[in-house]
Amino acid sequence: MSVGGPATNAGSLGDLQRAFQDYLLSGSDRLTASVHDTRKADRTTLLEVYRDGYALRLIEVLANDYPGVMAMAGPADFDYMARSYIAARPSRHPSVRWFGKDLADFLASTPPFDRSPAVAEMARFEWTLGDAFDSPDATPVGADALTALPSVAWETLSFTTLPSLHLLAFDFDVPRAWQRRDEQEPGNLAADRAEAPTSWVIWRPQLTSNFRSLAADEATMLAALMQECPFPELCECLAPSVGESGAVARAASLLRSWVEEGMIGSFRH
Amino acid sequence: MSSQVDFGLGLRPDHYEEIVANPGRVTWFEVLSENYMVPGGRPLQWLDTLRRDYPMAMHGVSLSIGSIDPLDRGYLDALKALTERIEPLWVSDHLCFTGLRGINMHDLLPLPYTEEALDHVAERVMRVQDHLGRRLVLENVSSYVTYAASELAEWDFIAGLAERADCEILLDVNNVYVSAFNHEFDAYAFLRAMPTKRVRQFHLAGHLHKGTHIIDTHDHPIIPDVWDLYAEAVRLFPDVPTMIERDANIPPYVDLLAELDTARDIALRVARGRAPKAAE
Ligand SMILES: [Fe+2]
Repeated sequence: MSVGGPATNAGSLGDLQRAFQDYLLSGSDRLTASVHDTRKADRTTLLEVYRDGYALRLIEVLANDYPGVMAMAGPADFDYMARSYIAARPSRHPSVRWFGKDLADFLASTPPFDRSPAVAEMARFEWTLGDAFDSPDATPVGADALTALPSVAWETLSFTTLPSLHLLAFDFDVPRAWQRRDEQEPGNLAADRAEAPTSWVIWRPQLTSNFRSLAADEATMLAALMQECPFPELCECLAPSVGESGAVARAASLLRSWVEEGMIGSFRH
Repeated sequence: MSSQVDFGLGLRPDHYEEIVANPGRVTWFEVLSENYMVPGGRPLQWLDTLRRDYPMAMHGVSLSIGSIDPLDRGYLDALKALTERIEPLWVSDHLCFTGLRGINMHDLLPLPYTEEALDHVAERVMRVQDHLGRRLVLENVSSYVTYAASELAEWDFIAGLAERADCEILLDVNNVYVSAFNHEFDAYAFLRAMPTKRVRQFHLAGHLHKGTHIIDTHDHPIIPDVWDLYAEAVRLFPDVPTMIERDANIPPYVDLLAELDTARDIALRVARGRAPKAAE
């Protein structure tokens, strides 16, 4: 027998569970006939303990995951936003750890929240930070391992980044706004529009997550490195910005800084 | 109590550093299983660090043992993997359903106490036990509504399930108190109906009294009436490990240690009352 076994749809147990879930998800009153008043409280009041608890529990989860979004939106708008998200994307995971994962997509694609793209970017930034926090552990490659390589190896050398590393691009300066999330009254935090779209890298070299902005050519090369392009191709992608002659030196310098910062997970040649 | 595992607390991230600073003040911890079903990083680092010094029991919230959905294979595999990491004292979850149709409501929703539900849950408990290769410990939940369909008393449902599925019971004394108030039954009768040999652990917690009903919030200290009920539980089920659950409005670790001392004092008083009196 498989451990999962068949779904049971027949019987009053199933009817009752479906009615209960429909009540929580959509306010359907089919459940009311199945429960009793007590001498002290009517059944509507008692059922509301579950309905209120359902929303408040998940709103709290989102507030914990998204302090920067809370600081931008303020408690009232955050509450409205969270309730909209809860209704649109009910949890399909055993752990609340993953309940909020679609918030950035939801905000970016759903009116009226899509009118505040900076808030959606903040949500994406915060979710990615959370992702780095408990991503798989890995030891970054040290500089010695690379300097020991024979020069011929560099012709085919390719890299992977740490599993925690994410490359993001923002139109707004949300990472710096995030650093100020506790400084203002909730609702007053604003992220300025950046002069140009800016790339950011988030990664966790040991136990503490880190993030920083990237120069345009650095972001281009890191994206290529993450595609496991060999080193000569990484140099080539820098040529438009620094010229053929400067490309190798720039690529070597960027690679050295990434290794020193603990971003590189492995290499092969 | 003679056993090494007697008075414990729920492991909460707020307390990690204070636990290290106050070693040996509890003999075990209960960890929330889902919190450690993550790939890596600090949560697992802390878990492994503290596990070296303390035995741990695993307590889950998403088994959804009473649901009409199929058992979640991926969840059970993650649970089993975590048992291999922690080598827990025991594995517990709640006698309830937490969702269906693939949607998790993240709440402990009550089951109707019917023969149909008893058959359904017993069969699933046995399959989970086969999968994990160990007995499951199931907790009585706080509930707020009474179903018209219920045919059995909650205590008969639990006792019947424990016998039928050969599982054990996590007796949450506060939940007994809360449900007794909400459903107007005798909390002491509930305790007396529990099969003695199957009570594996006690939970204690605080709650929120709304006048007409009580909500199980785990955000307050334990009230005197619940301590009284606990004394009866200790009298009926000697040497069962006790822990205090605190999930919101979390005080410093040392405050919970002080609350745990109250449990120790009660257990000691009950044990003394039980011991044969010296000849006068
Ligand atoms: Fe409990």
